[in-house]
Amino acid sequence: MLKIVAVILIVLALVVIIVPQFTNCSADGRVLKLESGKTVPMKCTWSARAELALGIPLLALGALMFVSRRKETIRALSILSAILGILVILIPTSIIGVCMAADMSCNSILKPTMIVSGIIITAAALAGLVINERTTEIPA
Amino acid sequence: MNLTRLSLREISGNRFRSWVVVICAFLVAGFALATFLIAQGAGNSLRLSQERLGADILVVPEGTERKIEGALLMGSAAQVRMPAVNLELIGQVPGVEIATPQLYLMSMTDSDCCSVPDMFMVAYDSATDFTVEPWLEKELGRQLRVGQSVGGTYVFVPPGDEDIKLYGYHLSLEGNLEPTGSNLDATIFFTFETAYAMGETSLIEAGQPLIVTPGLISSVLVKVADNADIAQVATAIKQAVPGVSPITSPNLFDSFRDEIAGQRLAMTGILAVVLVLSFALIVLVFSMMMNDRRREIGVLRALGATRGDVLRSLLSGATVLGAAGGVAGVFVSGLVLYFFHARLTTALGFPFKFPSIPGLVFLVVLGLAVALAGVVLAAFVPVYRISRQEPANSMRE
Amino acid sequence: MSMVSLRSATKTYEGAKNGAAVTAVDGVNIEVEHGEFLVITGRSGSGKTTLLNIAAGLVRPTSGEVYFDGSDLWKLSDAEQSRLRSERIGFIFQFPSLLPSLTVLENVILPASFTGRDGSAARAAELLDLVGLADKHRAYPRQLSAGQQQRVVIARALINEPSVLFADEPSSDLDEQTEREIMGLFKQIHGEGAMTILMVTHTGQLVSYGTRAIDMAAGRIVKS
Repeated sequence: MLKIVAVILIVLALVVIIVPQFTNCSADGRVLKLESGKTVPMKCTWSARAELALGIPLLALGALMFVSRRKETIRALSILSAILGILVILIPTSIIGVCMAADMSCNSILKPTMIVSGIIITAAALAGLVINERTTEIPA
Repeated sequence: MNLTRLSLREISGNRFRSWVVVICAFLVAGFALATFLIAQGAGNSLRLSQERLGADILVVPEGTERKIEGALLMGSAAQVRMPAVNLELIGQVPGVEIATPQLYLMSMTDSDCCSVPDMFMVAYDSATDFTVEPWLEKELGRQLRVGQSVGGTYVFVPPGDEDIKLYGYHLSLEGNLEPTGSNLDATIFFTFETAYAMGETSLIEAGQPLIVTPGLISSVLVKVADNADIAQVATAIKQAVPGVSPITSPNLFDSFRDEIAGQRLAMTGILAVVLVLSFALIVLVFSMMMNDRRREIGVLRALGATRGDVLRSLLSGATVLGAAGGVAGVFVSGLVLYFFHARLTTALGFPFKFPSIPGLVFLVVLGLAVALAGVVLAAFVPVYRISRQEPANSMRE
Repeated sequence: MSMVSLRSATKTYEGAKNGAAVTAVDGVNIEVEHGEFLVITGRSGSGKTTLLNIAAGLVRPTSGEVYFDGSDLWKLSDAEQSRLRSERIGFIFQFPSLLPSLTVLENVILPASFTGRDGSAARAAELLDLVGLADKHRAYPRQLSAGQQQRVVIARALINEPSVLFADEPSSDLDEQTEREIMGLFKQIHGEGAMTILMVTHTGQLVSYGTRAIDMAAGRIVKS
């Protein structure tokens, strides 16, 4: 069961890393033009980069959980994964955010994908924590 | 130790087969919820959109019915115009209580002139309007002035700005209407006077001017008198006013209704296929499980378990697996439908509105019930058969 | 009144497609008195296991009657038969019959859970002590030897203080030493509680443990 949790974390970490890179406004060629004429990236671009920064350690955590056998190690990995899962949700919704127009890809794809992925990551990590606590022996 | 707990222990002992049952229940529950939500949500959205317009008859230029419905529901561009004189002619038709004009405009994509791209704009006559005015009366206690607007639930002032800029013209947002699930939620409403002012400003401020010709309108919304027959009034309008097409309220958005019906049939078909395949797979899995446990069940019967005990115990195992898969299925399906709502609307080609909490709970329970019923019924056949066997026959090699 | 009584009991199994029907038990009459230790011998295919199953109510005879302590077994409902089996009968099967997902203690208590008797955990511990497995309560069947498993089965068979014990080749897969120990237990149980025992075996040497023996061949009793 723990191996299944680890696989879920690995797969969703890849989703968190890859999807935002293709669904933020910079990828669509859109930027913000300031009064001075200078262009800056829209905030969804920063969200995409932040998700990349979260997805990479999450991938590592999932891989470690797959090969780990010690209860204490798996406990720590589960807790860290749950925390990262929550951050995956918070980045595009409150910490940084995305563009507000409903039809832009950052709003219609990036944000919901991160929310759904984050919820499943957190749920899987918590499930892994519970399963780990109940296991009396670690399977070889 | 009772038989139900024994059955639950057996579930964890037979991992692969248990997962097959769980996954089948997951798929059935997920598809069932998606089908119910979209079907019901689409109907709700159309109904709410109709109620938002509030008209008994929508009069549009002949041949533009689909275009106008598309603009109202899906936000597709609709440069539709007819002479404003039609308004007077319609007003003179017997049975017409109120006739109010509307003008449909679109904001521009990728332009400095518009702070919100691709917005659907509706200009209305504040003296005769019955779409927005009732809300304004209730919420603000006054009509909109020039330069003021009211928007659907998704209309907003861009962060950092004080107002919405459309074609270089600054509009204040006085409030947001309740959601309908359709493009009316991304529509901005203002008076004709504001539209004319916007048109004039656009000549100087915008790269491409907004043409608002005083003698032209897009549609006329009609409220029929209480004692008049809507269909008869619509026929009279058709005869009195050349080149128009009156759409009566029940037939409004008919083209979308057909599309929704088609989509609903397709989704129900997929659900039926998933259900049948899952059913067959679960029958197979439980037949294999019962074959493996044949001897064990014979021993239980010999030790004193009744046929009913065996049946209840084995079906409780099936129920647990079905419930686990079903709950996961409705959870994931609900999440995806809720957060990807906008994308799904574009993909499906019609809007659907997420129900209120009680409605959602009902549909979730329904989806779960379909999955559970499927699993338990599928498991029943092989389980019943083995519970009826004589103990000695079960224990034979 | 006999404890177990069979009158003209016959069991015929329908043949597979185009195969002839097989008569496993042919018109057998037996009366087993209270407190008897009956040993049923015979070669493979003689019908001795089928006879035992008919006597225990585990299979319905094609014709004939089966009485248990005066009651016609096949006039009882399924619920009544099940209650009879759980309260009055103990079984020891030829094959490994412990449930692999339950511990030793849980396996022994299992029949008691059908009768809802109190104190079964304490009685189970006593029985495990009797059969020499006091330290194996939490072990799983896969962690025990064949001989140890058979002892657990004996303890399970005795949990509800049955009137009759049905044992089908209880020592067939065991070495001589373990077989002697198991049969010693049987003798002890029989001696202590004046329990009625019906035991099937293909080993002629075990006949001496019983108070009476019958020999079967081709579904009939040939020697009593």
